[in-house]
Amino acid sequence: MATTTYLSNPVVTINSVDLSDQTTAATLTRVIESLESTAFGSTNRSYVGGLENSTLTCTMLNSFVATETYATLKALVGTQVTVKIKPTSGATSATNPESTLTAAYLSSLPIVNGKIGMLDTIDIVFTGGAYSVAIA
Amino acid sequence: MAYVIISPRLGTVGDAYQPADGVNIEALIEGGFIKSTSKSTKSDKPSTDTNEE
Repeated sequence: MATTTYLSNPVVTINSVDLSDQTTAATLTRVIESLESTAFGSTNRSYVGGLENSTLTCTMLNSFVATETYATLKALVGTQVTVKIKPTSGATSATNPESTLTAAYLSSLPIVNGKIGMLDTIDIVFTGGAYSVAIA
Repeated sequence: MAYVIISPRLGTVGDAYQPADGVNIEALIEGGFIKSTSKSTKSDKPSTDTNEE
């Protein structure tokens, strides 16, 4: 059985900036909103596809050092941005597809998530935008 | 407007940066990833009052 194991080299790019070494988890979920089309006479609910509303959720190590997490994200809150993710750092291919959300929206940015004895990590969510995938 | 990469997170430092569609240029400049290579047209010399009335 083929599986995908993420060891250390997925690539996460936010607004063209490679933040892979600041990211500990990332989930890209393609979502097509469901519109209920159940009608009189139906014995089950039925749905049709609506607008796409995909999301990319990233858990990141928070860093205020130059050109790291905070420097990358601080000016992106409340804006549309292009985000990309692919399973490994190898060349883009059918077995290493690069997924892109173009004009995804970042609505919030945790500034500090502090707890004694713990690393400062933040979760950020990019919502919406146009999904595409490159295999070459 | 031309830009040059100043952070390896974006590419090779010193290379010209060609922004793709949808890239937030202002955020990249503010974050210290690129800088504009265009020179300012404004003079740094403070204006002086030449009125000698």
